[in-house]
Amino acid sequence: MFKVRDDEPEYAFVPVADGPVRNRYGEYINLAEENSVLVGKTLNINGDNGISDNPNRYKQHGFYFNADNCISCHACESACSEKNNLPPYLAYRSVGYVEGGSYPSYTRLNISMACNHCDDPVCLKGCPTRAYTKFAEYGAVLQDPDICFGCGYCTWVCPYNAPQLDVEKGHVHKCNMCVDRLEVGLKPACSSACLAGALDFGVIETLPDNRQQLKTQIPGFPTPEITHPNIRFQQTKSLPDELKRTDSIALKYRRHSAQGEYVTEVDTSKTDGRRHWNLRKLLSSHENAHIIFTLCTQTTIGAFMLMVLGPLIGLPGLRIDAIFSWPLAISMLFIMSFGMAKLNLHLGRPLRFYRGFYNWRLSPVSREIAGVTLFFAGFAGYCLFSIFDNHVSMLLKQAATVTAIIGGSVGMFYMIKLYLIPARPFWNHWQTASSFTGTALVLGACLIALVTLTGTGLEQSSVRSQQLSSVVLAGLSLEAIGLVFHAYAMKKQGGEGGASFFEQISRYGKTYWLRNGLLSINILIMGMVIYLGLHGTIGIMLAVLVLMSILVSCILGRALFYVLVIPTTMPGAFFWRNKGFEEHAKQSGLANMPQTGVVPDKH
Amino acid sequence: MLFGRKHKNPIKITDKGVVEWKYTTCGYCSTGCSIEVGLDDKGEAVASRGVGGADVNRGKLCLKGIFEHELFRSAGRGKQPLIRTRRFDKFKTTTWDRALDRTAAEIQRIQSTYGRDAFAIVSTGQIMTEEFYTLGKLTRGVIGTNNYDGNTTLCMSSAVSGYKRSFGSDGPPGCYDDFEHTECLLAIGSNLPEQHPIIYWRLQQAMEKRKFPLIVIDPRVTMLAQMADMHLPITPGTDVVLLNALAHVILAEGLEDRRYIAAHTNGAEEFEALVAQYDPVTASRICGIDEDTIRNVARLYARAGSAMTIWTMGINQSTHGSDGVVGINNLNLITGNIGKPGGTSLSITGQCNAMGTREWSSCSGLPGYRTLEKEKDRQEIADFWGIDADFFPEKRGLFQTDIFPAIETGQIKGLWLIATNPMTSMTNTARIRKTLEKLEFLVVQDAYEDVETNEYSHVYFPAAVWAEKEGCFTNTERRVNLISNVVKPYEDSRPDLWIFNQMAKRFDQGRKIIFPETASAVFDELRQLSKGRMLDYSGMSYDKIEEQRGIQWPCTEGAESGSPRLYTDGKFEYEDGKAKLIPLLFIDNNERPDEDYPFWLNSGRVVEHFHTRTRTGKVGNLNKFSPTPYMEMNPDAAKELAIDHGSYVRLTSRRGDAVVMVQLTQRVPPNMVFIPFHFHECVNRIALGLLDPHSRQPAFKQAAVRVEPIVDQESASVRNVAARSF
Repeated sequence: MFKVRDDEPEYAFVPVADGPVRNRYGEYINLAEENSVLVGKTLNINGDNGISDNPNRYKQHGFYFNADNCISCHACESACSEKNNLPPYLAYRSVGYVEGGSYPSYTRLNISMACNHCDDPVCLKGCPTRAYTKFAEYGAVLQDPDICFGCGYCTWVCPYNAPQLDVEKGHVHKCNMCVDRLEVGLKPACSSACLAGALDFGVIETLPDNRQQLKTQIPGFPTPEITHPNIRFQQTKSLPDELKRTDSIALKYRRHSAQGEYVTEVDTSKTDGRRHWNLRKLLSSHENAHIIFTLCTQTTIGAFMLMVLGPLIGLPGLRIDAIFSWPLAISMLFIMSFGMAKLNLHLGRPLRFYRGFYNWRLSPVSREIAGVTLFFAGFAGYCLFSIFDNHVSMLLKQAATVTAIIGGSVGMFYMIKLYLIPARPFWNHWQTASSFTGTALVLGACLIALVTLTGTGLEQSSVRSQQLSSVVLAGLSLEAIGLVFHAYAMKKQGGEGGASFFEQISRYGKTYWLRNGLLSINILIMGMVIYLGLHGTIGIMLAVLVLMSILVSCILGRALFYVLVIPTTMPGAFFWRNKGFEEHAKQSGLANMPQTGVVPDKH
Repeated sequence: MLFGRKHKNPIKITDKGVVEWKYTTCGYCSTGCSIEVGLDDKGEAVASRGVGGADVNRGKLCLKGIFEHELFRSAGRGKQPLIRTRRFDKFKTTTWDRALDRTAAEIQRIQSTYGRDAFAIVSTGQIMTEEFYTLGKLTRGVIGTNNYDGNTTLCMSSAVSGYKRSFGSDGPPGCYDDFEHTECLLAIGSNLPEQHPIIYWRLQQAMEKRKFPLIVIDPRVTMLAQMADMHLPITPGTDVVLLNALAHVILAEGLEDRRYIAAHTNGAEEFEALVAQYDPVTASRICGIDEDTIRNVARLYARAGSAMTIWTMGINQSTHGSDGVVGINNLNLITGNIGKPGGTSLSITGQCNAMGTREWSSCSGLPGYRTLEKEKDRQEIADFWGIDADFFPEKRGLFQTDIFPAIETGQIKGLWLIATNPMTSMTNTARIRKTLEKLEFLVVQDAYEDVETNEYSHVYFPAAVWAEKEGCFTNTERRVNLISNVVKPYEDSRPDLWIFNQMAKRFDQGRKIIFPETASAVFDELRQLSKGRMLDYSGMSYDKIEEQRGIQWPCTEGAESGSPRLYTDGKFEYEDGKAKLIPLLFIDNNERPDEDYPFWLNSGRVVEHFHTRTRTGKVGNLNKFSPTPYMEMNPDAAKELAIDHGSYVRLTSRRGDAVVMVQLTQRVPPNMVFIPFHFHECVNRIALGLLDPHSRQPAFKQAAVRVEPIVDQESASVRNVAARSF
């Protein structure tokens, strides 16, 4: 057990307080009844089999943050980093701030934030490897780095930026609520270290001494509706009507009610107001693996589905036994393998890839991986059994086809579903579905066209080329319609989605309009192709051009999708937790000094 | 509730494997926190924690203390003595004997060629009291130069000077416990949350128990200003005017403590005559605080049962630093707020042992608050050391800030720097470079060989740092606390005490005087020399200090513990036992903003760094909070100049230029910029640093600059990164 000192000060102990039975969201604060199997077990911390007699052991605990008092002295963050021996480039707890007013009636509101050990832990649900457990003990949500394979999905779904993807170690780790200290009645290291009467800890929904409020929100803190976080606030001092962030995220907060509620708005002063290309940043992001994976799998699944299901929806020209050819099969296998390899290699721990299915009950990522893998197996089986020409292999081929259809559908569905994350409003829109489906149609059809029409010439397969062109047009239109609605929705909703959209039209403005332009031209050309057909050398040249244009527009579009998303995290500080400074540190070489706290890009 | 799994996996939580905790005292600022350093089974320092039962910090530490164990093995530590013939040669490693021999020979050569005072010694506020005393003995009793000072001239000398002028002696009369008793607290130019977070916590806890008005006077909206009940955003450099006006209101409205003034002060008449000129209307036009507010604060302060004032560099680092301190003392004397619980003038000191150097280093005189000017003091010390009293000069020599100009113009030819880094800490970097290159011999003694000043040295002594050695620090509230030896010195670095003792052996006179080898034996000399004096140590011992987690002097022989306050009986250190009320005429000699240089340049500290970053710049978990310098600038002013948040700008002053990254914030007024002072090649390239006439402390915080946007951001970034070697 953790050793309590003889002279341990009173403030370091968690007070024993009687609170309500249920929390404000209706959940029981007591997480396990006396006779529950969850009671009376050791937490087995570092091999210690002791069991605490803390009377509140099975009650949901949480942090209490008095925003009136925080001075941003960093003691909480540092006590945490010291206890957990964290490297400078990441932290379980961070202090950021928003500020407003006009000198000298200026106010800075500091916010200290770590994991909120939520009632509805989206990290636990999202993690494909089941690295997360919510414990009945203290309600702590703990993550096991030894299980994690470093995909970082939990860092996407968490609205508070609590899980930390450690790029050096290749796995995630996060706040452990200092359960070792709790077992002996001590508050977590951060709360014990607070130097301003700001950060405290206890059973949730209980007020610490001398405090008045149990709010669930303060300006800068993401909505508690996503996860029902176990943090309560006090914020009684009057604040300016507008609060700004010092980090590079284009968000600000505006007071909209007398009760002091703030809405998140786009801060257009964060850029120079001009449109830029920003291509280097766009195409060198850490999400490149996802760009490649999604485009490759969507292409392959799209092509296969078109061949199998096309005839059923009135596209006889796409019949699989008519189209299927070895060049096509090999290109599809190659593209699919390339995509999956890229995805796997982007994992912090690629050798643990097999753990991706562990959380199939809860995680859309697990289901996506399962679906895509099933599709791959089914498609490979289809190819394999096409080699033989006998009755058994025919049957097996049909079984493989069904497998691939099921796998492909499940894979596509969950590939979309996994991006519908409330903490990432830019993705959390049906445009993700229209874009992924559209891409599958467009690139699938293009792949078939490229491979099967190259040898035969255009005129001979006019029906097929006509039908493929229609599919491409449909896919492009779907994509375009989705984008129009998405743009409108993001602008209207403001907040993080609006900020992403603002980035799209400013920092990436030229790229964005290039993609939009290409998409429109592609639609026009495809319409002309369907109407007039493709003839002769000009036809071939036009086909090659439009294919290239489609590819560029798909890659740009997908890259924008990944690079633009702004998660609902708390505000950063001027250097720490400031994306803008991190980028500058990498570019300028400051990041090469490890004590800068920014991991340099590895090339 | 969703738990994810029924059969739970074992939990792994970092366990640093501490097998032993060793008691020591923090080596950063002068708050004086008791720290325990955790050692693992290999004897490596792996953890730090605040001592639960220590009165100062009660189990807490600020972020610097939390990571203090990382100092011992941090980058840039000196491993071996280094030597070179000319400053532009390459350093060669050498033995301690050779390095010390060469240094002793150079000191003797310079002194015999140019005179005894042609070799100067500038020390620090960082080393232990026993080491300060030994260095003083070496300097005053053996080497015999009168050009000897500490870098405390850059931070505390105005407080020292102000205390001496008002009370007849240095020594902060109050303590942290005063927060528990005061009914009104005035903080001038002090930003506790950033500079002294643990003292802030003590204040915050006291206010939470029993709310009293907190009034903050600061040109910036600091966190303390934001937490205050009243914030007075004063015009830089005009504190004396405001203090005079507060006294004016108190006297004009009859709120003063007449009985106290009559019984315990001299000079009331002249004082009253002068403050009569500083009515609130006149004052408001100079200091920028409106007359109603001045009256309100004055009444609040005078009517409080007890009221106290704390201050830090906002007062000290000004052309009227010493006057500012005297002004605070005047205010407290006329309201009877000295020496009573909750009523005091408490300077919040900067360095961990700035107090130790004030008490024992002999920089400004002789050990134990003795002066060179008094024959009795000279004789006492000469007898104690066993030397001829005539060896001592009869007047103190140059301050640090006068030593450098004397090097520049050739009166001083050799210099020994101990744990101080003037290349970053002194104003006008270009002039300091020019100065240092004129030295015939420079020896730098520092725990870090990458300390920027080492660029100009001929010999480098690698010193042990903090708890690699043993000794005492005195904190802001006069609490003497013990640094016990936690780990052995890094590589071939040595304790400063050892270095001074070895140096003494290389002088004829040094061989005649006793230089005890252990810190505790030196401490015995302090006890003997302080017996019966204001700073009485005679009742202390290392064991007792550790047991009580620090003891506040005076602690007389046989006393159970120390004394929280000075002057409780109203008896001051002047001959007649009375304090002085001193009239303070204000003459505005600051370089004020004008058309060419339209911004005030203000500087200050950030919580994550200490002084010139030689320590904190290498601890990633501190440095990451500000890894590169920045400048706070008002967004309205920036808009007019088309300056973007996060971009680099060029600053120019009448001294030179600097490049710095801009942070736009309404925390500063439109005509002011603020830059943390910790960074090499930044604010001190352009700061002016006019000297206070009494304390010789530079006015770091008042100068005028111009701000220009930079078109070529890339080259600005290259220039900035080049100056960040750590």
